[in-house]
Amino acid sequence: MKRRTFMMSAAGAAAGLALAPRMSFAAKGQIDWYTSSDTNILDFWTNIVKPAFEAANPGLKLNLVDAGDGAGIIAIGERAIAAKQTNADPQADFFESADALLPAGAIKAGVYTNIKAAGLSNYSKVNPLAIESEYSLPYRGSQVLLAYDTTKLKPADAPKTWDALVTWIKANPGQFVYNRPDKGGSGGNFVRRAIHQANGLDPKAFKVDNYTPEFGEEALGKAWKLLADIAPHLYDKGAYSSGNTQSLQLLSQGVVTMIPVWSDQVLQAIEQGVLPAETGLVQLQDLALCGGFTRSVVIENGANREASLKLADFMLSEEMQSAILTELGGFPGVSWDHVSEDLRKKFADIIPKTIPTFPGGKWEAAINDGWYRHVAPNVDRKS
Amino acid sequence: MSEFVERAVSVPAETAAGRRPIGLLLVAIPVFLVIWLVIWPAINAISRTIWRTDADGNSSFDLSSYAFFFSDRYSLDNLAITLWTTLVCAVLLLVICLPIALYLRFSHGRLPAYVQALAILPMFVPSIILAFAFIRVLGPNGMVDILLNAVGLPKIRTPYLTPWGPVIGLVWDNIPLTVLILLSGLGSVANQSIEAARDVGANTLRVFWHIILPRISNSILVALSFSVLGIFSSFTLPYLLGPASPEMLGPFMQRTLRDVQDPIGAMTQAVVAFGFCILFGLFYVRSVAKNRGK
Repeated sequence: MKRRTFMMSAAGAAAGLALAPRMSFAAKGQIDWYTSSDTNILDFWTNIVKPAFEAANPGLKLNLVDAGDGAGIIAIGERAIAAKQTNADPQADFFESADALLPAGAIKAGVYTNIKAAGLSNYSKVNPLAIESEYSLPYRGSQVLLAYDTTKLKPADAPKTWDALVTWIKANPGQFVYNRPDKGGSGGNFVRRAIHQANGLDPKAFKVDNYTPEFGEEALGKAWKLLADIAPHLYDKGAYSSGNTQSLQLLSQGVVTMIPVWSDQVLQAIEQGVLPAETGLVQLQDLALCGGFTRSVVIENGANREASLKLADFMLSEEMQSAILTELGGFPGVSWDHVSEDLRKKFADIIPKTIPTFPGGKWEAAINDGWYRHVAPNVDRKS
Repeated sequence: MSEFVERAVSVPAETAAGRRPIGLLLVAIPVFLVIWLVIWPAINAISRTIWRTDADGNSSFDLSSYAFFFSDRYSLDNLAITLWTTLVCAVLLLVICLPIALYLRFSHGRLPAYVQALAILPMFVPSIILAFAFIRVLGPNGMVDILLNAVGLPKIRTPYLTPWGPVIGLVWDNIPLTVLILLSGLGSVANQSIEAARDVGANTLRVFWHIILPRISNSILVALSFSVLGIFSSFTLPYLLGPASPEMLGPFMQRTLRDVQDPIGAMTQAVVAFGFCILFGLFYVRSVAKNRGK
């Protein structure tokens, strides 16, 4: 009995320690930084940005915190609004990835800093195509591509249009998988590409404020038909992985031949040997898969507003923008003229001419709900 | 567990009365926590799903979110898969853990100690690590496939991303708790009564059926209601190992709240889940009360 009692109490004590509330207060000179991005971004900040920034700015420190996902960032944004109303400390200074329009009313409440008016020395270098709001700073971009195993599919035969892709998926049952659209952008943007396909290849048809239940039903309904049509030919007759990483895992284990991937994640995976060097990349030529810029936000009422603006300016410096290309495999937030000549040559094939995007807001909820109801269950996988 | 009960019962009556205020004080903290973290949010969720404010700001009694849940094929499928997973896990847990517990109770020496350590191990493995290990071993082209391939056998039909994925993960995760509770129940089976039964010629099966089972039926009920409660509301393993659809209520609730941005829908699902858990909880409370009454 004694050994068991000991083990039980040890487990109890460990659980108690883990659950004990951890108090924290914003410290002067310590920038509380939050991200909703994947681990590769957090690694990039931990290993590259943090040491470089702290070396360049003695006395300033970065406290890197993973907020989980977009909803996590919004929750902290709401906390900042509440803190503003009570004149309290929001304990947040910098969002690595945020939508300046969310949470609704954050700009009006004066919680987000107007970056354009803040006088950043590098602001004029930012790619004008990427600017969405004066309150957010596009500092890096990435796009969804198709990654495939060149030992099973010759680069010359890789599909370059949606129709060719569908033909290939049907001709090679079980060799394609995409993740659930709400669990990672690679699958999410593959689904959005299907929505573009079903609605005349016009990304401009969808705006953040033109969602109505009727239009949504009509536009999305057509896309669900396209996706349900290819479902029986996907991996395991219609299984969907639960995230970007899990799709990469299926490709790396040689289970499937092709998956949609984020450009930065796949380049890094190849670099680190998670994926073999024989991994091929292809983009659809009739309309690219969606992508987008990641925009940072500085909290106006944060304890370290000035230091955070310094960080924002630092991220636009040539040193950091080059690191985004070489270390992260993303593409820069500044115009390509501000990237060094040899890097521009080296990455010529991933420099996008246009990046189609898809609005969030109500569209996102409608896509997330609709896909699970109409695409995910439609398949009899028992056979 | 039964040990605790026996010890508590054997305390002389006067001392028990003298310690009562301290006992109440000790129990006050957990009771307060339960009220604060469980009962109050539950009442809050129930009232916010049945007493709703419409677009004009008028609040009224409204059961439409429940009507939607119970008329929506998709939600009902998710509820069905949750109940199926819970039931299958409970049966498998009993089938796996009872023999282990019996073995540990009736054998001596060093080997049972190792078996016990092995049976408790899952308690110390976080479920997220378990999930990724599962994918590497039982997933497509995983370790099992590689081993089978090495001896010229065909690949297995992988349970990854099928309803059996979460079942396997959850059963493994719940073995320690079930074994420990069953083991403590078996502690109340006296060696003498088994020997007596053997002396009059009872075989192993009869000893198990007539002597052991009646004494531990209570523990079985407690063990099952504990694990069933955990399995019903589990999140990580069904999320990482299960299919996109039908999904268990845990991932379904999280998705409804965050990705579909429908807090009322998520709360309705939570209240429904809560209702089922109360049913399972009643089994537990009843069996504890019965035990106390003895």
